[in-house]
Amino acid sequence: MYSDSGADGGSLFGGGGFMPSQSAGLNDNSFSPGGGSKKGGSQSSGLIPLTVKQLSSASQKPSDDNFYVDGQEVNNITLVGMVFNKEEKVTDVSFILDDFTGRIEVKKWIDGQDSEELVELRNIRNGIYVRIYGHLRSFQGKRNVVAFSVRPIKEFDEVTFHFVEAIYVHAFNMKTQGGLAGSRTPASTAVPYSGHPASSMTPNPSVNMRTNLANQYMAPASVPVGSNSVDECQRRVHALFDEPANLAIEQGLHVDDVARKMVGYSKQQVKDAIEFLVNEGFIYSTIDDDHFKSTNG
Amino acid sequence: MDAYTSNPALLANSELFRRYMGRRVRTVVKVGRFEGGNLYAQAPDGPQISIRQVVKNEEFTQFVEVIGVVEGENTLRSEVCTNFGDKFDLGQFNTLCQMANGAYQDIFM
Repeated sequence: MYSDSGADGGSLFGGGGFMPSQSAGLNDNSFSPGGGSKKGGSQSSGLIPLTVKQLSSASQKPSDDNFYVDGQEVNNITLVGMVFNKEEKVTDVSFILDDFTGRIEVKKWIDGQDSEELVELRNIRNGIYVRIYGHLRSFQGKRNVVAFSVRPIKEFDEVTFHFVEAIYVHAFNMKTQGGLAGSRTPASTAVPYSGHPASSMTPNPSVNMRTNLANQYMAPASVPVGSNSVDECQRRVHALFDEPANLAIEQGLHVDDVARKMVGYSKQQVKDAIEFLVNEGFIYSTIDDDHFKSTNG
Repeated sequence: MDAYTSNPALLANSELFRRYMGRRVRTVVKVGRFEGGNLYAQAPDGPQISIRQVVKNEEFTQFVEVIGVVEGENTLRSEVCTNFGDKFDLGQFNTLCQMANGAYQDIFM
């Protein structure tokens, strides 16, 4: 039974989860309340198999609960590792999951009425291997995982499988992100916005990775229309307005602030982009003609 | 941030022991014979290795995961042994060890 849920379930969820065509329902709640709910859909992912090392080095936007691994927004994850320091309380069971790339705290809330679940959790002992499905979050500056499911591993090929799958997803994301950056935003090759365009040409994977991450850091709030109709500058200005920190500013952003952040573009280009975005209804002017805010806020 | 990375163990086959001398590794072996506190077993990439300080009276399945410190090219000092059952694909695990120490090592260490 466990081997079924492990191997098949894993590949089912994993395969569907990280593919760019899929999007998780949770994303919309956490990232974009209301309009433009397609936003980020193509970049966010469902259930991602990861190592704890990847979680600990996941990037996080300021004033935002979203995590990014390989440029993918990470919400729901699956991990495989060993249980340590298990603590049972009336309301929850928590433990440290160690997958030997790192350790992370896992908490599983107990639905008091569900005795089957309780029995399952009682069987989780220190020192055994488990697969968890859960939600990554940050609490008081510490990352932890709230698990939906904690299951002991019975067939240990699943341990190998998990790490191979994590490698596969990592490789897949690095590859597609590189590919997407080229195909979705053709302008990016022409515009040296990164300041050092040559870096994308170097064969050094770590440099490429950084370039990709930079791209995706700007990209998660991708424009909810066919990207072809929006050039790189417009796309990036729009992404800037959609950053949670900027959504939170009541009067929105001043044109000069935007221009300052858009390194590599002239103020006129930024103004043109803003005008375009206003006309298309992505942003609107607020307290005066120089302040604008995203309609997604 | 320490909590995330404390005491990691690197995936390794016996070939990688040389690289990780003195460090904590994690491997899966096929249990051979048990002699004088040492366990002699087959590493994922084939060679025989000896594992010291294996807790006695422990009932091992055919495959055992060993987390321990590399003491020599073919020697581990065991810290934790976990039964991995009687059915395990050592070859697949060996491939994982190679990948986790090669092109994809950045997600492991």
